[in-house]
Amino acid sequence: MEYKGKGAARPYSAAIAYRAARWILGVVFIYASIHKILDPAAFARAVYLYQILPDGLVNLTALVLPWVELFLGVLLVFGIWMPGAAVLSTFLFMVFMGALSYNAARGLDISCGCFSISPTAGGANIRTIVRDGMFLTVSLYLLIATFGAASLRGLRKREDS
Amino acid sequence: MRNRERSPWRQAFRQVSLIIFMAGIVGLGVNWLRADPLSLVGDWSVKTGTAGDSLAIPLAEAARLFSEQAALFIDARYEEEYADGHIKGAINLPWDDVQTRFPDIAGAIPRDRVIITYCDGETCHLSHDLAVFLREKGFKEVRELVNGWTVWRDTGLPVERGNGTPP
Repeated sequence: MEYKGKGAARPYSAAIAYRAARWILGVVFIYASIHKILDPAAFARAVYLYQILPDGLVNLTALVLPWVELFLGVLLVFGIWMPGAAVLSTFLFMVFMGALSYNAARGLDISCGCFSISPTAGGANIRTIVRDGMFLTVSLYLLIATFGAASLRGLRKREDS
Repeated sequence: MRNRERSPWRQAFRQVSLIIFMAGIVGLGVNWLRADPLSLVGDWSVKTGTAGDSLAIPLAEAARLFSEQAALFIDARYEEEYADGHIKGAINLPWDDVQTRFPDIAGAIPRDRVIITYCDGETCHLSHDLAVFLREKGFKEVRELVNGWTVWRDTGLPVERGNGTPP
């Protein structure tokens, strides 16, 4: 089930943009997942410091979320399972946005834990929120493009039958 | 009806569930295979501050070290908060500026004394991060006094005001 650019249904430039969006987000997710997978304890600390999840869920999240990111990244890069990948990617960027903004609003000065888990890395601030917003925009484009193509095909199928 | 079953939203929902399920299996499996697996439910209580390290120091022990002058207290809060009041004799190393300020005061930190970092509030993590940072910098005896400023002041232990930061 691939929703890549489908020849005549989609202009060439849109196909390029779609592929670029997939690759950008895919690489971002894969890159972000690696160090978290290598050092789950440090990532757990970053999750804990967000002070959002109940303590009992911190370690579980730290163990599973990086693999979600890795799988999602691979699916995006190869354009597999695009409806699911686009939904999940958009959902994750929204959750990250919420967490970053929430802590920025209450003045909790924590490290982002996004691409580096070192406590001395740059803090979660307006820059990381804007960065997340850019990824979210790309992801929303991917979502719309994916579901646009899918519903178009569904429409055509209905007309055919 | 057939179109309904093939709806991309349903497909997406199924795929998202599968991705999370697989990530769960692999994530927990890899953790299980690790030499130092992370416990599934960590102890994140304020006392320890992080899963199973012994960074936190009880107030009584901190007070004892203070009276024996065997500890150096480092205030991890902002300069203004430090100036408003701090543990007597504590130096200020704001976590926010640690990268620029640390080289200046590194020489002033004696290696033979216990270092006790603190900030304010039960969930304040500045002192914890600072303690980890100092350990990474090679200081062996670094402890963290959780909620340090409040518990110290409320116990009536010696405090002072003003900006005693070394230049």
